[in-house]
Amino acid sequence: MTADLIVFVVLLALGYVFGQSVERRHYRSILRREQELQDVLTFSAKLPPQDLKVEGTNLVSGNVVVSVDYFKRFVAGLRALVGGRMRTYETLLDRARREAVLRMKQQARQFGADMIFNVKLETASISKGAKDSIGSVEVYAYGTAINTSDSFSR
Amino acid sequence: MRFENPKIPEGINTSPDHPLKEFVSLLGGVLLVIAIGVGVLSLMAEFLAAGIPFRYETELARYFQNSTTERSEIGDYLQEIADRLARAQSLPADMRINVHYADEPVVNAFATLGGHIVIYRGLIEKMPSENALAMVISHEVAHIKHRDPIIALGRGAVIGIALAALAGISAESIAETVVGKAGLLTALTFSRKQEGQADATALAALVSVYGHAAGVTDVFNLFTDMQNENFVHMPEFLSTHPDPQRRIKSIEQQILDHDWSADKATRPLPQL
Repeated sequence: MTADLIVFVVLLALGYVFGQSVERRHYRSILRREQELQDVLTFSAKLPPQDLKVEGTNLVSGNVVVSVDYFKRFVAGLRALVGGRMRTYETLLDRARREAVLRMKQQARQFGADMIFNVKLETASISKGAKDSIGSVEVYAYGTAINTSDSFSR
Repeated sequence: MRFENPKIPEGINTSPDHPLKEFVSLLGGVLLVIAIGVGVLSLMAEFLAAGIPFRYETELARYFQNSTTERSEIGDYLQEIADRLARAQSLPADMRINVHYADEPVVNAFATLGGHIVIYRGLIEKMPSENALAMVISHEVAHIKHRDPIIALGRGAVIGIALAALAGISAESIAETVVGKAGLLTALTFSRKQEGQADATALAALVSVYGHAAGVTDVFNLFTDMQNENFVHMPEFLSTHPDPQRRIKSIEQQILDHDWSADKATRPLPQL
């Protein structure tokens, strides 16, 4: 009983310390790379404007699988009892979405593209809420990267 | 035509609140609700369990009883004391006390379902007099008279079921473990109030059998000393009591109030 409790508290503390430090570092990296890749433009529109001179297209995608830590999961478990905003999961998914978009943009830049049209995001739960499994989620961003003549974009 | 993806401000999709703040408020709130729920449920269970007929309790006790102790001289002696005290406490006609002597060095005695009382050799060896031993037995008989074992069982069962149901509806298995742990804390024990009432009834019965209250405080002093020596191995008789001093005080107060004499000679234990 007390041994269980000690293990539980240690796991919770580990989850909190490592989870939070990973999250802080990840956000710093996201902000920096978003700045770097700001000139790769993303659009939700399916097709580029008629007058855009398209020189080439590529399917680009970014894929992220991110896992919750023990602390986040515990707080979410308590939250599930009373309802309300799952703040600990919100940051997790925010990070996953932005990371997926960043990876997609990275790929587009490798193709020499500066615009991505028809950008879509898909989310899939890996564990599907199964008990005692790792609560992790996949976010997949994809779109059509377009190479245009220089005069148009920048 | 020029396009631009502006920089989106931070803190819209996420919350700037510190995660520990949410943790503390949620955990505090959930534990408070569990504590209140457990309190209300145990009160209800205690109230209802006391109404369960004693013969059902006797039936129930068969499931828990795994060995029948063979008759012995000491067993008969203890049974005789218990019967005298039971008469003094005017137990209901269908309530029969069965004393079991356990030949083990554990310093312990307890009352359980179906009117069974178990006394360990270790406890008898520690007793300075028959009066002191009778006080322990009288205390256990009083528990049975007050239906404390079945009340404790009722309380434990109701809380166990409630917490299991609560853990079942929560989505995360981790919340389940926490809820389960809270359930473990409410084991089959008697409350402080139950112990106090058992003391009062026991003392009154003891005085009516022996004519005085000598040797009573010896029991409590003995256990207090033992507790100070080795708090890990606390006898059941005192285990639910964080404050044995207060218990001794209320016993002494009762003796004073009734003007019972406590300095008469105690009866020695027979050599068995």
